[in-house]
Parts: sequence; C-alpha cells; structure tokens
Amino acid sequence: MSHHATNRTLFGKLVDINWLLPVLILLIGSIGIATIYSATGGGWNLGAKQHFVRLMVGMLFMLLIALTDIRVWYAMAYPGFICALILLVGVELVGVSVNGAQRWLDLGFVRIQPSELMKLAAVLALARFYHDLPHWRVSKPVGIIGALIIVFIPVALILHQPDLGTSIMLAATGVTIIFLAGINWRVIISSVIMAAIAVPLFFAYGLKEYQRARILTFLDPERDPTGASYHIIQSKIALGSGGVSGKGFMQGTQAALKYVPENRTDFIFTVIGEEFGLIGGLSTMALYILIIGVCFWLAGSIKQVFSRLLIMGLAVTFSLYVLINLAMVMGLAPVVGVPLPLISYGGTVMMTVLAGFGIILSAHLYREIELPRGSGLLL
Amino acid sequence: MKKPDDIANMMSRRTALLGLGGATIFSVLASRLYYLQVTRAEDYKVLSDKNRFNFNTVMPERGQILDRFGIPLATNKQDFRLVLVPERVKNVDVALERINRILPLSEPTRKRIRKDIRKKAKFIPVLIGEHIDWPIFSKLNINLPDLPGVIPIEGQGRHYPHNGVFAHVLGYVGKPNPAALKQDKDTLLRQPTFRMGKTGIEQSHDKNLRGSAGLKKVEVNAVGRTVREWDSDKIPATSGNDVWLTLDSELQTYAAALFGEESGGAAVIDVATGELRTLLSMPTFDGNQFVLGLTNKQFKELDTDPRRPQFNKVIGGGYPPASTFKMSVMLAALEHKVITPEEKIFCTGKLHLGNRDFHCWRRKGHGLMNMHNALKNSCDVYFYEVIQRLGMDKVKPFAEKIGLGQTYKLGLGGQTKGVVPDPDWKKTRLGNSWRTGDALNASIGQGFVLSTPLQLAVMAARIANGKNAVSPFIVVGEEIPTPEPLDINPEHLLLVQEAMHAVCEVPGGTAYRPDGLGIPGVEMAGKTGTGQVRGISAAERLTGVLKNTVLPWKLRDHSIFVGYAPYDNPRFAACVLVEHGGSGAKLAADMCRKILGRALERDGVSGTGEPVVLGDN
Repeated sequence: MSHHATNRTLFGKLVDINWLLPVLILLIGSIGIATIYSATGGGWNLGAKQHFVRLMVGMLFMLLIALTDIRVWYAMAYPGFICALILLVGVELVGVSVNGAQRWLDLGFVRIQPSELMKLAAVLALARFYHDLPHWRVSKPVGIIGALIIVFIPVALILHQPDLGTSIMLAATGVTIIFLAGINWRVIISSVIMAAIAVPLFFAYGLKEYQRARILTFLDPERDPTGASYHIIQSKIALGSGGVSGKGFMQGTQAALKYVPENRTDFIFTVIGEEFGLIGGLSTMALYILIIGVCFWLAGSIKQVFSRLLIMGLAVTFSLYVLINLAMVMGLAPVVGVPLPLISYGGTVMMTVLAGFGIILSAHLYREIELPRGSGLLL
Repeated sequence: MKKPDDIANMMSRRTALLGLGGATIFSVLASRLYYLQVTRAEDYKVLSDKNRFNFNTVMPERGQILDRFGIPLATNKQDFRLVLVPERVKNVDVALERINRILPLSEPTRKRIRKDIRKKAKFIPVLIGEHIDWPIFSKLNINLPDLPGVIPIEGQGRHYPHNGVFAHVLGYVGKPNPAALKQDKDTLLRQPTFRMGKTGIEQSHDKNLRGSAGLKKVEVNAVGRTVREWDSDKIPATSGNDVWLTLDSELQTYAAALFGEESGGAAVIDVATGELRTLLSMPTFDGNQFVLGLTNKQFKELDTDPRRPQFNKVIGGGYPPASTFKMSVMLAALEHKVITPEEKIFCTGKLHLGNRDFHCWRRKGHGLMNMHNALKNSCDVYFYEVIQRLGMDKVKPFAEKIGLGQTYKLGLGGQTKGVVPDPDWKKTRLGNSWRTGDALNASIGQGFVLSTPLQLAVMAARIANGKNAVSPFIVVGEEIPTPEPLDINPEHLLLVQEAMHAVCEVPGGTAYRPDGLGIPGVEMAGKTGTGQVRGISAAERLTGVLKNTVLPWKLRDHSIFVGYAPYDNPRFAACVLVEHGGSGAKLAADMCRKILGRALERDGVSGTGEPVVLGDN
C-alpha cells in the first residue's frame, strides 16, 4: 500500500487529493468575496479584490502543501514548534503593537503574526508527541506534563500579547487533542474540577482590563450601550432586522451605514444575516459543518496517530474559529476578535486556515505511509 | 498495552463524542439565529430603522403680516444658523473650540450653549449661533467634516421693514420662555430656531402665524451624517397664515415722518367701518433689534429715552383729552336740556368758585358765547357753567357712548381704559367725595379725565358717523360685531358737527386755516385740545403763565387734535396727540390735517399721495 502511494506521479497525486474539501473552501471563499463587496458598499477595490487574490494564492499554496509528503511535516513538527515559540518570544521582545496588542513581528520584508503560525505548529507538535508516546503513558505524568508544556507555554505567551481569542482557541484545540489521544476520564474529571477553581482566579488576575470588560459586557450587555457592548447590540440588530429572507444583496443598512463595526472582518456574518436572512445564515453554517464533517471523515479513515490527530487538531482549530465567531456575533460569547475563516477580510488567518487544510489534505493523501514511532525529540 | 485497532476505535468513539458536542453547539447557534431572525425579527427591524432614520423637524415659514394693500410689514429673511446635536459630539469643549476658529464664540455664548446642552435631551439640537454672515457660514460648511454633530441651517429669520413704524402694532418675536414652553406643548417650540410672538400682532396671532412643523425622514449613518433624505416619507411643514391688517403702510409712514422727533400717537379710522388705517406710536423702536438680540447699549437707549419708545402710547397712554372732551359735555347738556344752543354765557376769562379761580384758556375772556361759539372758540368758562348745571354723572354715559373710558377688541395687548370720572368713580377709586372743582376740571377734559389717542379717534369717528357706534379693528377677516346704534339725538349731533366744522373752517375757529384741509372743495371738522400736565399756581398767573417754549419738555402741554373729513360725507376720523407738543391748535392740528388729507388722497378722494420714506430726516 505504501508502495502505491510513494510511486504515484504528480498527476496521480493530484487526482488522489480529496477535492471535495477545496471545492467547499472555494464556495465559502466566494461567499466571502461577495459579502466583503457588499459590506464595503459595493467597492471592488475596498477588500473584495484582495480577498479574491488571497483566496486564489492561498488555495494554490494549500495544494502545494497537500502534495508535500507527510513525512516532511512529520519531521518538521518539533523544529517548527521551536521556531514558532522563538518567534512568539520575539514578539514579546521586539513586536509591533497594533490596537494595543503586540501581535506582529516585523521581519523587514514581511510582517508575520507568530500566534497564527503557532496554531499550526502546536497541533503538529502535539500530534507528533502523541504519535511518539506509547499509549499507556498518555495518562501518566510524563504524558500529561509533556502535552501541557506543548499547549500552555504558547498559550501563556499569546495571552500576554494579549490575544484572548487565539489563546482560547489554542488551549481548546490542545485540550481536544489530548482528549482524542485517549487520556483517562479520571484525569479529565479532575481537570474539570481544577479548572472550575482556576478560571475565576484567572478572570480576576490573568486578564487585561478591556478583556474583563468585554466578558462582563457579554454577561450584561446593558452595562455600556455605546462602549464595548455596542458591537453586540448593533450586530444583533443587523441580524434580527434581516428576518427570514434578508434585505437582499447590497440592501443591508446596518452594515453599510457602519453601525456594525468591523463589518468586513470579525462581524462579517452580520452582513450575511442582514442581507440574506436566516436562510443565508443557516446555509453558510451548513457549508462550514460540511467542511468540518469532511475533515472528521478524513480523519476517521486513517489509523496512524500522527495523521489522525493532526487532521482532527486542525479541523478543531477551524471549527473553533467558526463557533467562536458565530457565538460572538450572535451575542452568545464575548467579543474576542476571532474572524470567520475564509469569509472575513484578512490575509493572515486565510493563510493559516488554508495551510491547515493543506496539511489535512497532505495527511489524507499520504495516509498509507508508515511513520516511524518513538524517535521523537523528547522521548 | 492496547493494540493499534483499540486505539483507533477509542479515537473514533471520542471523535464521535466530539462531533456530538460540535453538533450541539451548532444547534445552539442555529436556534439562536432563528431566535434573532424570526422570533425577534420585528423588534430588531424597528431598532434598525431607528438606527437608520432620524426624523428631523422641518420648520414652517412664519406667516407674513401685511398691510391692506399686501405690502409686508413683517416678513422673513434668509438667515444662517449653526446648531449642534450634543449626542453626536464626543467632547463639547473640543467641538466648540473648533467652531471658534471659524465663528468666534464669546465666553457667555459658550456658557449659554453648555447650559442648553445640560438642560435639554441629548438629541435636541442646540443653537450655536444665528444671523451668521455668509462668508463665515460657507467656511463652516466647508469645514463640516471636522465638525461632527454640527449642523448648518439655512433658515428664516423675522424681518421688519419700514424702520419700526409698525413696531408697536406688530410687536416682535423671540425665543419661547419657560412659561410658554410649559403651557404650549407644540414640538415646534422645542426647536432651537423657533421664534414666537412676544408682543403685538405677533403675539396675539402667534398660533395663526406659526404654522405647523413638518417631518423629514433622513437616513443617517453611525456617525449621524445624513446619507439621504426620504422624500416619500416627508411631511411638509405647513407655513403659517399671513395676517392682513387694515393699516395703510404708506399713510402710517407719512404720519410717522410728520412726527419726526416728537413723541405721541396718532390713529386714523374709517368712519363707516372702524378699520384702522393708521395706528402709530412715536417714537418707535426697531423690532429687528429684538429679533437679533438687543445689545446692552441698545437696551439702555430704549430704556432711558424719556420719550419711552417701547410704550405703545396710542392705545396704552392715558392723557387728559382737554378740550376734545367738550363734545361729550355738549351732547349731555343738550340731552338733559340744561341749556339751549342759543343761550349765551358771558366769559370774563375766569370763573370764581369758593376760594379758587378757574381760568379760561383765553385770559381776557371770550365775552358772550352761545353753544356753537363756545365749542368753536373752546371757551372753558362756558363749560364750567354748563357742568355746574349738569353734573358729571350725566356726562359719563355720553362720553362712553362716543367711545371713551373703554378698551376695544383689537387683538393688541397694552390697551388702557382711561378714565371718565364721576362722583361714584371718585368715591370708589379715591375714597373721597366729588367736588364741584373736580367737575369743572373734568368739563374741559382735565383733572381726572384720561383717554388714549385711539379713543379720541373713535370719538371723532362716532360723532362723524352719527348713526353707529363704530369700533376700531386692525386685523382683516376677523369677525367684527355689527356696531351698536349710537343712540344719540341726531339733531344734537348735528350741532356738535357744525361747531367742529367751525373750529376748522370758519375764521376765528381754534384750528382755522385759510386753505382748510389743503384739498380744494373738501372741508373738515375737528376739535383742538391742549392737555395741561402741570398745575399752574395763582402766583404764576399773576406774573403771567409761562410759555411752553420756556418750560422743560416734560412740563409742556400735550398738543391734541381730533377731526374728520370730508365734513359733508365723512370718510376718515383721526386723532393726533403730541406729547408736550404745546397748543393743540398748532402742532397737532397741522399734523392731523395733513394726515387726514393724505388719507383722503390715498382713498381716491383727490390726487395721489407722494410716497414718504421715513428716516430721511
């Protein structure tokens, strides 16, 4: 079987790629282009064009990654993680501040956001960690501590930037992978109890003032109708006023008149909801569910721990983007600055997500290749 | 140790569990979306429209006030204003400072603006400035992007042409005071640019002139800038109605020019209907100053002028009618037959009563006087004699019949009733009893008697009319009650009319002029009055009564004349009263003749009047 996979021609590999995923991605990306076009009041040059270009370039990039042998990614798991970690520390030291958060690293020719890179690197590293770790050690101290180190060192660094949204996503992704890796229920239950104690403490001492304000606003939106909760109230008005069938393409008023802030980035779903109503909103959600479902299905077809956890981890990251963003826009979660992947305007997240899908496709394309075990960096 | 298949199965189980969790969250999100977009859709649609639309009040144009020929007396002029909507301004001080760079704002103005912002709801525009020059206004318009929440308004401001000749009649407009705001719930009053009538016709007809506000639906974006106007949902403002006055602006301007610097009042009234052609109080003031806001200097000037420009003398000033009162006495005497027209009384120049002498204006006396000559020459002693036979209580009903001692339904504030005294009046008002001296003084229109120039004009009109007790009115189209019959013996009235004719047209009459009215073939009738404002002591009489010219202005006699013309077919009656103007036979008589002449000319009796512009002198 492995013989078959390695001896495929480039064309053969291209044929073997799971094309359902790119088609769905292209579909959602197109929704993004149309919505940005509408949100900017019908301006092709105000974001829609860039989004189109990024989508095309990104998908090409995704296919390149998909065609790259899974062993390359397997080998790069730990060095990539270390690199990402170094870049994160670099952000701490020489990062560029945008909107009060230090997230960017200026490398001279390009500005990168190491936290985005870390979303991929941490999943790769964790998948590699569990791939190498004998299963019986998963719930042992070495397994638990090793996993926690891989997850929470970057989480702590990103939280310090501060970027609450990415930290939550990374932590959640990490925890999900740990869960899937087969950690004991006993450990899970005791962790939940510990979290119940730690979270309030974290809320009181671990958050910046504006982060705390956002969470409080979420819990009680009437606290400050013009300040932080303005986002939520206006976005609910946009969605609600769309009704079942929406106001029609380009007919939205809330977003077009700039009542909804960040309407082409984090709050772009309000434009869809306002202009295409419940039908448009549910259809978009259905497309996302389909993509996630395909990923789960691809993961289920693989026996290898690395590839399987890798696909699951990246799929969970993607799902978290979608879930947190939708919950935030609908007023069910605090405003934490998580974009709607493939639809929101913004290059970095698009690249992260498409790179993630590239790795997923690669893991699927090279699913027959036996990966070595136990030759990891740590064990 | 577990086999790889077991591990894969475990992972599949946990993946399924995870998928279940994900599906649950997605279901929650879908239900939430359903809740927002279906269950709550209507609420949010309303909120969305609230976001989108502002309903801006469209100010109605205030009705004009026109004279009888449609010439505007109060009109509207383009006015540039600036308002600020507090809720759209983040920092008021910063905003004011930015405005200040273009439109200088004094510290008191800023204080007023801040106070307005504090007092009113945040969405109600607050006035920053009005009557802004066009260059500054256009500069503000250019800089609007830097001035969020600041709205330039091209509005209408009240304007009064004619240099204030109609100021007392029209009144002026100003910002509604708190009492008006409390009483009147009209939203118009809450608009920063709204002005309501404060005095005069502007006040009495305010509701009619005001009109009603319209609404303009405008779509605004999040920062409050108007994106577009929705003409389909526009409720246009209803302009106020024009109010037509019976006044003849040219005639009134002419009368004002005749007054020049003098102080007093004049009224010209249509003998048949009671329409007022002129209702003038002098000196006057410029209503525009009140609209623009009086400066301290202007206020001081108005307040300290001894001629009291703000006082509406023609309807509010109570003056001794002096000899113009003698017609009332004459009519009462004839009715009560205390004297026949032929009976003669000898005037020595004074009448001794008790320990006091009551003087005739002609110190050497008139000699033998019958009734006709007594009025023609205005012999005081004759009327001293008559009133002693008659009693003031008999005169009062006649004075009132011909219009004295009452106010009229003019729709103007500030009228005074004046006084027609009798023993009862003195008892109730002053608490002491009537004395013969009081009657003597009253018989020549001095002492307690007070009347307004308008009342005297009405008196002349009723005498001239002879049949109806015409009442004056000034607003066209208002229901005028049919005048009551005058109910005075026409034969007696004829005697009065003949004597008044002699005053003007027969040599020796106190107001006789060889060329009469100045219109060939048209004769007039009238009566002079010289209203004494000071007591003349016996000592002064001995050394000779001081001439008006040597007295301080405040102590000079009031010059009064009432008259009507043409004599044989009366059209207009008039009264001119010049405060401290000296003898009524001179100044007031001359002015009244000219005014009546001009009124007749304007009415087509003769020639055409030359327009007169006030302010040339």
